[in-house]
Amino acid sequence: MRRRLVLVGAAVTALGLVAGCSGGGDGSDSGKTTLKVAALEGGYGRDMYTQVIDAYKAKNPDVDVQLQISKSIEDEITPNMKAGKFPDVVVLGQGRKAALTETLVKDKALEDLTPLLTTKVPGEEKTVGDKLTGGIVGNLNTDPYGDDKTYLMPMYYSPTGLFYNKGLFASKGYKVPATWDEMFALGDQAKAQGLPLFTYPTAGYLDSYFFALLADVGGEQFYTDVMTYKQGVWQTPQAKQVLDITTKLLGYAAPTTVGYANEQDFTKNQQSILDNKALFMPNGTWIVGEMKDAPRAAGFQWGLTPLPAVTAGGKRYITTSVESVWIPGSAEHKDAAKDFIAYLYSDEAAAIFAKSDAIQPIAGIAAKLTGENADFYKVYEDPAVSALVGGFAGTAPVEGVDIKGTLFDTANSVISGDKTEVQWQTALDEASEKLRQAGN
Amino acid sequence: MTPAAKRRKRGNGGFVLACLAPALVLFAVFMIVPTVNVFRMSLYTWSGFSPDMRFVGLDNFRRLLDDDQFIRAFQNTVALLVVVTVVTMGMGLFLAAIMTRQKLSGRNLYRFVLYVPNVLSVVVIAAIFSAVYDQENGLLNGALRLLSLDGLQQVWLGNQRIVLYSVAIAMVWQSLGYYMVLYMSSMSSIPEELYEASSLDGASAGKQFFSVTLPLIWQHLRTTLTFFVMSAVNLSFVLVRAMTGGGPDGASEVLLSYMYKQAYTNSSYGYGMAIGVVIFAFSFLVSLLVSRATKREPLQF
Repeated sequence: MRRRLVLVGAAVTALGLVAGCSGGGDGSDSGKTTLKVAALEGGYGRDMYTQVIDAYKAKNPDVDVQLQISKSIEDEITPNMKAGKFPDVVVLGQGRKAALTETLVKDKALEDLTPLLTTKVPGEEKTVGDKLTGGIVGNLNTDPYGDDKTYLMPMYYSPTGLFYNKGLFASKGYKVPATWDEMFALGDQAKAQGLPLFTYPTAGYLDSYFFALLADVGGEQFYTDVMTYKQGVWQTPQAKQVLDITTKLLGYAAPTTVGYANEQDFTKNQQSILDNKALFMPNGTWIVGEMKDAPRAAGFQWGLTPLPAVTAGGKRYITTSVESVWIPGSAEHKDAAKDFIAYLYSDEAAAIFAKSDAIQPIAGIAAKLTGENADFYKVYEDPAVSALVGGFAGTAPVEGVDIKGTLFDTANSVISGDKTEVQWQTALDEASEKLRQAGN
Repeated sequence: MTPAAKRRKRGNGGFVLACLAPALVLFAVFMIVPTVNVFRMSLYTWSGFSPDMRFVGLDNFRRLLDDDQFIRAFQNTVALLVVVTVVTMGMGLFLAAIMTRQKLSGRNLYRFVLYVPNVLSVVVIAAIFSAVYDQENGLLNGALRLLSLDGLQQVWLGNQRIVLYSVAIAMVWQSLGYYMVLYMSSMSSIPEELYEASSLDGASAGKQFFSVTLPLIWQHLRTTLTFFVMSAVNLSFVLVRAMTGGGPDGASEVLLSYMYKQAYTNSSYGYGMAIGVVIFAFSFLVSLLVSRATKREPLQF
């Protein structure tokens, strides 16, 4: 008898263990649609999402929106996605370390959102496509396969470029360089005064720099060629010129740059701009919030400039980072998800987002900005400057080839003299060729 | 055995099985299945999410041989393993011998101080060493400046020739205390008479260490070596990830961090798993070699 009791006890324990693993039910059978929204908690904070969702729920009482938000949202939704449970709406851009968006793009696992562009924004007369600023869709960032089908909707946009201290420039009488010749002249002048021209937080921040420079040197077609791995594109004179300029610029890098260019210390490189120990660094508008508590030199004021032009009066591009919102191809409530995304572009939602400095690519919104942001978004007003969106095209994964790593991280080796420009060019050529073969 | 006794035995067997089942199920689900999966996935091309997995046989392994970054990561792992093992073992033994054999005043304090790093989280260690290695006002360069040894100052995490050793030092610092305490406990169980007898025979402290202490703790040493190989592979990954991210430009990449990069960042899950298989085989082989090479007739006291 006792033995049987023990046996039952053991069985119950075992069952309990198994049940414990499979717990966590859905609880969504009350007739309401439960929309699962996953969002990256970026520099804009999480409050704006809860406010927008509350506003949406007030209008759509039959939809329950569950928000999952985290600074490492990939880590939280990936395990469920591997188990087949997908969120309905994901707000997550490309260029993250975990590269979840890129992976799904490579896998063609996203829902086609082209119809959404002609959908009316809930409660408004205009369609989503009408409200967006020109040129913000239809590039590789939104249409990753280059086939005029939009899979990623642009959510927030912000200019990236070279950040500097306006106060320092005013007090030293430096002029913000308009061409690379002026840039290097300034570099020599500053060097004589013990000031390095350039630094970067980590080599990964060179993405915006390189994209803009490629377009500055060879025009948009050349930029697209590089991004789509056209055969031999890294052997062209334009590519050589890009690497020439970069190698020369890296020669002016602050001596501390490489030592701090890691996850642990990159803010020290950013601090060197605040401390007037370097003139320029590539970065994005989030830098203001990121470094807001950091000590700074007297009279410090953030300034943002596009990369200098290659020739005087030449066209200058400003790499524009765009966060995306998308629907996984395997999402459960796709229609509800599309309606929710359309709502995100309503005036009501845009006002809430803008309060947290999350600026959506909606026409006319930049005019309403204040403070440093107004200044940053002004860079688009110069007629010689245009926005450049996108990044490397998605291909099938190629084992052991990471062209971003090859293009950006090698800068560390170029500064320290471990690699030469020729090696850099050769490595890029090889990586690009392997990706080209995988893409076709 | 009588039939009745046999039946009784079988009855016990069922009960034992029922008691073991939960543990066995958990072990199978969380250990065996994933391990088998690693081996299986290494033969496929898969991004991690897509429904289509393509069987490619040994292609992933063939590609590994041409992958310069993988070879660099492998070299770094081996270098770390050798340097860290030799230094930690050597210093651990030396310190343990001093602490147990010499009547050092305040040795409890030393033991405590040396052991503390072991309970710290790796992220904390990375933060500490980031402060120690800081090229401008770090502890190390600051101390060198104070001693007027400015010429010896280095960019500890920025110089590609040094960065791996900077990581190695952090690893030694982290694990030294743990192994020291292990050796101390095994050394203190050696009977005092052996030392008395040997000192009557005129053996010096050094001679005693090599002829009495070392042979008698040899079995412990072998066990810890195996531990060490495994934990060094793991620790190098977490530390590299938190401290240098594999940089600058791949100079401090180790096998596990490269595997992570390939499997997740580069969406080549199958390729990452192939690296995983190599790591598995490598750790297995090294442990086997270490265990074979150190095999001695067990000595007892």
